[in-house]
Amino acid sequence: MLSPLTRLLRGNRDLTTLVICVLLSAIALALPPAAKVVISTIAATPILRPLKRLATAADGLTRLRGENERLRKLAMELVEERAALISQGHENERLRELTHFMVGFAAEERFDLLPATVIGMPGGRIIEGIEINAGEASGVQAGMPVVVPDGLVGKISSSVRGRSLVEPLTSASSAVAVTIERSRVRGIVRPRYGGASELLDWQMDYVPARSDIRAHDRVITSGLGGVYPAGLVVGDVSSVHEGPLTMTVHIDIAVNLSTIEQVFVLKGLAAPSPERDAMMQALLKELALEAAPSDTTEGVPSGGPEGAPSTELEGGAP
Amino acid sequence: MRLRTFVLMCVGALVLDTALAPEIEILGARPDFLVLAIVYGGLGLGIRIPVIAGFVMGLMVDSELPEYLGLNALALSITAFLSASLLDRLVKSQVLVQCSVIFGATLLRDIIFYGVYYRGSLDIFGHFVIRYSLIGAGYTVALGLLINIIARFANWRAITGAVRR
Repeated sequence: MLSPLTRLLRGNRDLTTLVICVLLSAIALALPPAAKVVISTIAATPILRPLKRLATAADGLTRLRGENERLRKLAMELVEERAALISQGHENERLRELTHFMVGFAAEERFDLLPATVIGMPGGRIIEGIEINAGEASGVQAGMPVVVPDGLVGKISSSVRGRSLVEPLTSASSAVAVTIERSRVRGIVRPRYGGASELLDWQMDYVPARSDIRAHDRVITSGLGGVYPAGLVVGDVSSVHEGPLTMTVHIDIAVNLSTIEQVFVLKGLAAPSPERDAMMQALLKELALEAAPSDTTEGVPSGGPEGAPSTELEGGAP
Repeated sequence: MRLRTFVLMCVGALVLDTALAPEIEILGARPDFLVLAIVYGGLGLGIRIPVIAGFVMGLMVDSELPEYLGLNALALSITAFLSASLLDRLVKSQVLVQCSVIFGATLLRDIIFYGVYYRGSLDIFGHFVIRYSLIGAGYTVALGLLINIIARFANWRAITGAVRR
């Protein structure tokens, strides 16, 4: 029976190779498990170990790539989170300033302040109006003053249900009755425009010649005219020019209108409330404790308890 | 194809089969780099060398799973013999022929392997062949086709099966 197979194999070397390989495979399959393990170890040690090392390296590279991708995503998330935290920090700082401003007034001068957020600034190079998110529904009416802790922003020019338009100090029609804090000289502050409708600066009009005004004098609202309460900071005197009959006084306004985000609408004097006053005093104390001793009066307007000319306050209500 | 090139190809196939194949599997099916190597060996080195290469590579793969030592060696040597014999009788340079041989060889290797591995459970064997082997064979053919296209551009006659004139 073997002789035809032998004859077949003798004439075909390829088939012989296959038969040998198949036989060897069959023997390997039939070996006892212990022998299989020994053969596997012998076969694997010299040949497969370097290959395995290569494979492990390749696998490690793939895993590293995945991990790198994951870390990159995490870094992006952290960057976003950091940006959000910085933004929240700034907001927190602003709110702290506003709170300081709110509680900074003496109890009898305390205004009913309505906080609002700036939601738009119509106009081109010059800010013609500031849109805020408080309107008639919150009791905002045309003519009410709008302030920030740094000073006066303007007044409400129109108001609808949920939003109002503020006429800022940059507006051509803006005119504020002011007084020099040091010498009590009065005048009207108006914006001064150049030839191409370019806002040059602010000028204090109706100041008699030889008045006691010097550069860097603080300019505050006088309370005359009944629109703005007395004592709100408008700005500082930048330069003074003597004329034959009047003085030309140039003013730098205190508020940078292009960067404001939150404002207060002064709705009038607040009704007396001992509980609220006590709460505000506690809040003020807390803020003073948090800040450095020298910073405790920071953000308090000159109309507040720090030596403001409260005697000129004309009712406060617009 | 030189023997040295073929040996390098086999080593490369072993590395790719161990390291890359699990990473690029589609629907659980992997390309068979070992079958590709022995089929390309059959294109230029006759029958005997691919059979021996299939046996050795199979034995190495089996050393990972000692319980079935010799199973991959058996499957790959038979696959190498049949594919090389078939290529010897067909026009090797034709892409369709190469693709068909690669498809058949991959399927044959799996049938032999799963046939012995699941010899007691025909249903599981059938499931594995239908669920994984067919897709794996298609995947291997796609890879072979890609290699063939690259080989044609690079003028590697050992892979394309073209005869020097």
